Amino acid sequence: MKLIYSHLKHFLPDLSVPPHQLRDDLTLIGHFCNFYEKIGKEIIFDLDIKVNRGDCLGYYGLAKDLSVLYDLKLKNADILPLQTTSTPLPIQVTTDTVTRIQALKITSLKNTSSPTWLKNFLKLHGLHSINPVVDLTNYIMLLYSIPTHAFDTHKSGDHLIWQLNPGYQEFVTLDKSKLTLDKSILMINNPTQALSLSFWGGQNAAIDSQSQEVILEMAIYNPTTVRQNHRLLRSQTEAATRLEKQLDPNLIPLAFSHLVNLVLDICGGQISSQLFDYYPHVKKPLKIDFSPDLVFKISALKVPNTFIKKTLKKLDIHQGLIPTLRPDITNPEGIANEILRFWGYQNIPVNQPLSYKKVTDITPKILYTIDTLKDQLKQLGYDEVLTWPLVSKPSDQNAVQTQNSINSEYTYLRTSLIDTLKLQLDNYRRLKLPQPQFFEIGKIYFKTGSKYSEKYALGLYHHNPQILKNDLRTLGLKSQIENSFAQIILDNLKHPDFYQAKFSPQTPAIELNSQIITLDANLLLDTKVNPQTLLEKYKKIIGPQILWNITITDIYHDQKLGKYRYTFQVNYYNCNDKIAKKTHLSAFNLL
Amino acid sequence: MDLKKLLQKLKDKLNLVANQTELKSVRIEYLGRQGIVNSLFSQIKNHPDPKSFGQELNAFKQAVESLIESHKIKDSPINTPTSPKTSLLAATLAKVGHLHPLTQTERQLNQLFQKLGFSLYEAPDIVTDDYNFDRLNVPADHPARDMQDTLYIQEPKYLLRTQTSTIESYLLETAKKSLPLRAAFAGTVYRNEKVNRSNHFAFRQYQAVVVDKNVTLKDLIGTMDLMFKTLYGSKVIVRYRAKYYPEVEPGIGPDMQCFSCHGQGCPLCKFAGWIEMGGSGMIHPNVLKKAGIDPKKWNGFAFGMGLDRWTMAQNNIQDIRTLMGGNLSYLPYK
Ligand SMILES: [Zn+2]
Repeated sequence: MKLIYSHLKHFLPDLSVPPHQLRDDLTLIGHFCNFYEKIGKEIIFDLDIKVNRGDCLGYYGLAKDLSVLYDLKLKNADILPLQTTSTPLPIQVTTDTVTRIQALKITSLKNTSSPTWLKNFLKLHGLHSINPVVDLTNYIMLLYSIPTHAFDTHKSGDHLIWQLNPGYQEFVTLDKSKLTLDKSILMINNPTQALSLSFWGGQNAAIDSQSQEVILEMAIYNPTTVRQNHRLLRSQTEAATRLEKQLDPNLIPLAFSHLVNLVLDICGGQISSQLFDYYPHVKKPLKIDFSPDLVFKISALKVPNTFIKKTLKKLDIHQGLIPTLRPDITNPEGIANEILRFWGYQNIPVNQPLSYKKVTDITPKILYTIDTLKDQLKQLGYDEVLTWPLVSKPSDQNAVQTQNSINSEYTYLRTSLIDTLKLQLDNYRRLKLPQPQFFEIGKIYFKTGSKYSEKYALGLYHHNPQILKNDLRTLGLKSQIENSFAQIILDNLKHPDFYQAKFSPQTPAIELNSQIITLDANLLLDTKVNPQTLLEKYKKIIGPQILWNITITDIYHDQKLGKYRYTFQVNYYNCNDKIAKKTHLSAFNLL
Repeated sequence: MDLKKLLQKLKDKLNLVANQTELKSVRIEYLGRQGIVNSLFSQIKNHPDPKSFGQELNAFKQAVESLIESHKIKDSPINTPTSPKTSLLAATLAKVGHLHPLTQTERQLNQLFQKLGFSLYEAPDIVTDDYNFDRLNVPADHPARDMQDTLYIQEPKYLLRTQTSTIESYLLETAKKSLPLRAAFAGTVYRNEKVNRSNHFAFRQYQAVVVDKNVTLKDLIGTMDLMFKTLYGSKVIVRYRAKYYPEVEPGIGPDMQCFSCHGQGCPLCKFAGWIEMGGSGMIHPNVLKKAGIDPKKWNGFAFGMGLDRWTMAQNNIQDIRTLMGGNLSYLPYK
């Protein structure tokens, strides 16, 4: 949600905080501000509005919040009463998914070009100017978070019907997208034509610059219906984003009169009908029993009673009656949240954590097995890896498949860790990692009939299968070894009653971005030298930046020459071929 | 079985042993409960000449014990060969094993919370929408279901959990008869996201849950702050603010001051100056009720955070794919 500072001041004329403070304060009261920017003379805030605050997808709701925070007066637009006529509009509503509609007709208007301020406003919100009537419907939606729509009655006639789809197969939206409908779609039609969806207008009665008479309408529906409709049609519009949330039907009179006032102002013309107001079940304020003690009970903060009283008053919460603008407040804790977010959660001390308390230990014992094995495997020289739980081809036909994975090549859950560890080995081979030795403890998944099951498994790889076999024996684990891989299901092992896993920081892991380069060197020495001393020496000479590993693969006593030949194998990483060779040659004096 | 060969193999092994840890694993391999020696003893009864085989084994066991016990290790991480003969074959730096950096982070947190009396916990990855949504106060067709892109097994009933709060659903149900409750847990969670350098369909989250009498936001924020200081050091600046999550009321969002720009705004923090660190709050009374816990008697808090970004920063990893099935590796000798 974009918020233009200068426009916010229409509702809060006395607002004077600097933009960086407004950014921080909006965030602290729950509307995370990603950033603000200057465009021309305007300052625009970019806010994340949470799904429970449909009201704050408009300036009005945000201004209301800020009026409480800064103790400012909220000023409504100057709106003249609507001069309606006595002619009723022949509108029909045949579905119970409509919460409220207001509508009226305006004739003799001139819909040529929007004023500059309106064009600029929309542009800063990322919308194109189309024509004044359409622009004003967008403008009002952005102000009050209630979508509104206009029909060209030369095209549609006055007989509008709010109904569930009576049988239209297809609908062409304002931007000419073709949607395939089913009978669950809430629509606004006339007796012969499909005109609009609840959240998206159509081509058939579109307003254009020639439009002279229009029906303006503003409506709120059952949010679930709108949500199901837009999900079915895979079309989430700005209107749908608002209508799927709980909006306040009691705000419609203010927002709708504002719209009508502006249309008359900018386009001329006059109202030529009664105000149609369909509102079968009037929404009443929710009553919540709230005791100010709850604020302390929840927060351990002593918020003064005067502050609590003042805040409730500014929020229009009187005698526990919650204004319909705020359907997100549903319980006493919700009211406490209001008090506390305006008092400031940042005022809660951060230095008083829980202290130790003995409670029932419910740790599943398998976690002790997992931790024990990880420590043992580490001791045996294995490196822990994690692999993708999703695979393209599972090795077991009882694999679980995902339905909507956008990574379309990876739709199955793995049925064996060996499957994914093989991919890890391929990766290590591509990187020319010498002598890989690694393990993973993770889950594997199966489908049996209509049931899903998952098991913890240990998968291991050792480049030398004989050592792998020994290691399994050391660990007391039984498994087939297949191409140097082994897998053990952990669920059925006998689990220890307790195990305290160790935490000691290790050298950081390495993101290998290029292949490991392996080079050999021979060293001729007159005397026998402890090979470990040699390894240490060359390790230092090469340096930790690029040395992956160093090994003496052979020591040969040449009796004719009376010399000892040491064959080194050095693995370099974090560098290219050229650097590796240069370092290697100079380290072993081979230049 | 050639006992002489086995003994020679042990000697070779010991020559490569560089430290106490490795020595211990050799000891386990040979003398452990399920080690080589014991497995040989268990074969006595099947041997054609059990008596003499038994005597041989006893001698073998003594030899193994004395070899292992008399093996000396220098403090240097590099082993010094005891016999010149082996040194003529080859020499390597001792291979060291490593735990995954996420395991490291998780253990660091587990250790902190276990000291406070927390249990650890785990629960299924494949869950019903009941555990992932309804029990967390997100009814069907509620827009809060869009807060995460769900990866479905069978829409809308079966899915891969999208958050560690789903584990909390199981936890509350399990623990309702043994309150008060303290538990902390890590879990893989899934989102239907395209995999690239900065997004993954699977990642690790960590969550802590407390249910007790008279728990407050002060307990929540103090404990959460302790967690951040444990991970990020005592100088970390975290602010706590209002944030909406359907499963909590009130909901609190911790933001860490950007360590790159110190709050001034930079590309890393998308110019906000702060980085969102996860979510928390007092457990919503509806969530307790759905788990069968009376919200008039009990209340509690929960907090959760993603572990990947921190673990990446700590290990200087640029690509999130490195953490899972990628180019993650470790220096073999340290
Ligand atoms: Zn920054």
